[in-house]
Amino acid sequence: MASAGNSGSGDDDAGGKLLADRYQKGEVLGEGTYGVVFKAIDTKTGNTVAVKRIRIGKDKKEGVNFTALREIKLLKELKDPNIIELIDCFPYKENLHLVFEFMETDLEALIKDKNIILSPADTKSYVQMMLKGLAFCHKKWVLHRDMKPNNLLIGADGQLKLADFGLARVFGSPGRNFTHQVFARWYRAPELLFGSKQYGSGVDIWAAGCIFAELLTRRAFLQGSSDIDQLGKIFAALGTPKSSQWPDMVYLPDYVEYQYVAAPPLRTLFPMASDDALDLLSKMLTYDPKARISAQQALEHRYFSSLPAPTRPSQLPRPRRKGDQGNNKIPDLNLQDGPMVLSPPRKLRRVTAHEGMEGMHRTDKVDEHPSGMRHTDDMPSQSSRIPMSVDVGAVFGTRPAPRPTLNSADKSRLKRKLDMDPEFGYAE
Amino acid sequence: MADFRTSTQRERWIFQSHDLMERWAAANQRAAQTLAQYGTTRLNVDLLDGSVSYPESMPDHVEGSSVVKPLSYEEEQLTRVFYEQKIQEVCAAFKFPHKIQATAIIYFKRFYLQWSVMEHQPKHIMLTCVYASCKVEENHVSAEELGKGIQQDHQIILNNEMILLKTLDFDLIVYAPYRSIEGFIDDLEDFCRAGNGPFQRLKELRQAAISHVDKMMLTDAPLLYTPGQLALAALHKSNDLLRVVDFERYLEIIFSRQHSDCPIEQFVQSINEINYLVDQLNIPTVKDMRHVDRKLKHCWDPSSHDEHNKKKEKKSKHKSKRTSTDAQL
Repeated sequence: MASAGNSGSGDDDAGGKLLADRYQKGEVLGEGTYGVVFKAIDTKTGNTVAVKRIRIGKDKKEGVNFTALREIKLLKELKDPNIIELIDCFPYKENLHLVFEFMETDLEALIKDKNIILSPADTKSYVQMMLKGLAFCHKKWVLHRDMKPNNLLIGADGQLKLADFGLARVFGSPGRNFTHQVFARWYRAPELLFGSKQYGSGVDIWAAGCIFAELLTRRAFLQGSSDIDQLGKIFAALGTPKSSQWPDMVYLPDYVEYQYVAAPPLRTLFPMASDDALDLLSKMLTYDPKARISAQQALEHRYFSSLPAPTRPSQLPRPRRKGDQGNNKIPDLNLQDGPMVLSPPRKLRRVTAHEGMEGMHRTDKVDEHPSGMRHTDDMPSQSSRIPMSVDVGAVFGTRPAPRPTLNSADKSRLKRKLDMDPEFGYAE
Repeated sequence: MADFRTSTQRERWIFQSHDLMERWAAANQRAAQTLAQYGTTRLNVDLLDGSVSYPESMPDHVEGSSVVKPLSYEEEQLTRVFYEQKIQEVCAAFKFPHKIQATAIIYFKRFYLQWSVMEHQPKHIMLTCVYASCKVEENHVSAEELGKGIQQDHQIILNNEMILLKTLDFDLIVYAPYRSIEGFIDDLEDFCRAGNGPFQRLKELRQAAISHVDKMMLTDAPLLYTPGQLALAALHKSNDLLRVVDFERYLEIIFSRQHSDCPIEQFVQSINEINYLVDQLNIPTVKDMRHVDRKLKHCWDPSSHDEHNKKKEKKSKHKSKRTSTDAQL
């Protein structure tokens, strides 16, 4: 950090193009409405960092960007293993620079990566870290207000951390009204969809519940296309709330009555989840925010103390680098992956064009209900599919799956099995 | 954000007396050296990144020959208190909550821990502190609106925003005694219900304590003590005047509850030190500031010194003009 007391202004480029005499710039990681995020090396510590660059225009009527200021002020006070660290902050030329610890990937990329199999212990680990980060925020009277998988970053050490505090704010002062236009729609709590401007930490818990559901199914849980549609999808999945469940809902500014639908059992939506997981999930997705479980209470739920123990962060499956995710979108690779991974032994037959089409269809079905447990069940049969993969390659003219993938999957499975033993339990 | 214990304020912005004096003296000496070397003390600030450079030497300046005197250490102190009180007036005029007023004053104090009032105009810095405080406390008032309210160009407010943030090291969340007072009053209600005093008069006590904190914010106490200590000192002082509760007994109860490492005697001494600072507070009037302000103007623009001397030699018909100028404070 440039010394605030320094009344001289040296040439910052004099030190071999280091940014502010300290950061060696690297590749661009992403762009958004705020500006650019790029990788850099902190020459003071040797660590890799991510630098968010925010334009400061002298033409602007309001000076320093309000969102950036909010992120800075909160992250300066929040120090926790499950919250992204703001290492440094400085203006340079026409930009304000926020320096963060570098994170390898995010939960969204992990959820979408079909090469990653999440065991129940893995899912439990991610949910636990997410809730630990939230519990810390709420203890400090901070609402995150933008909980979603791509704001949950994952470090090289496997730690999951809450990031992007641009919508976050302090709560707890009586009488202060907040905007209800927060959260990406799929993660927005029902009280917000009904226009509530006085809300609390429950809004973050609802979003975390949706993320939990997404980890269980590997697809976004409630994909509404408008606020009305979002409420409709919530009520279709969880039942229309009764007054007895949520007495205050009729008083919310944008309350609209929906046709009553009874709640289907949660089990039907998450067939592979354990009873404890379903119980915790139902408490996180409770309609009445006053009755919704808190982050701290959630961490004390028996889900986290029952077997399997959460996977140690360092043992969690490694996704490909974010930059490599694009490869997974090549259609012929998906075509190859589907039948190879998912066909059970009893259907083992000589491959024909018709069989190939069936494989694609099965892929679609699995997208609707995939779970770590189901993939785990399929694992023992995977090695017997090697000849099939050769045939598939020959018939469709695509490369056969490389052996290392199978081997690394086997190793990964073995590690996870070891982690499930009580002796290897991961202490909270 | 109700956790002072892990705050940047506690970690980085609570000082010992001698540290404060060293910083103020260093800033004062640096400005005096700048004056001797360049003929002016006003630093040039890059508006975009808040970086600072030395001024161009004044055209007719010969190093070491300046007839302009820098402000003394004491005059700087007086100037800071004067403008902190102005912050209170501006915030009252806009009906801003106490939290914003306190945050703005703390920003001002922290800024001038590192800079001299000769280096950056306190009148401008004061406004930027109010603006930044509104932004950070999410009670946003536009620079234009703020500027209109006080008949100042809004650009003056924005020009110093980046150097202010940099000087604060972007430590933006501030804890003030006002919230602590609310907490202690709630606690005292329980204390009263247990038969220790009249419940109804706590409102008087609360109001008196808040007024006392307003004065306290103009002393060095907020840079030396924690918000909780400041709040208890204010309540103690106010209770001495109003005699609402047995405060010594209340302190004993607090300490027995907290199992504090700090002995109660040491804590009472801190309270007394805080209230001594308030007792010693001297808030300068506009009239008191006339001489200091004139010196300050000369430090920024030495040519005004010659102008001033010429005016002195002219007839009394110019006196009203000078008075009018001073009134702009």
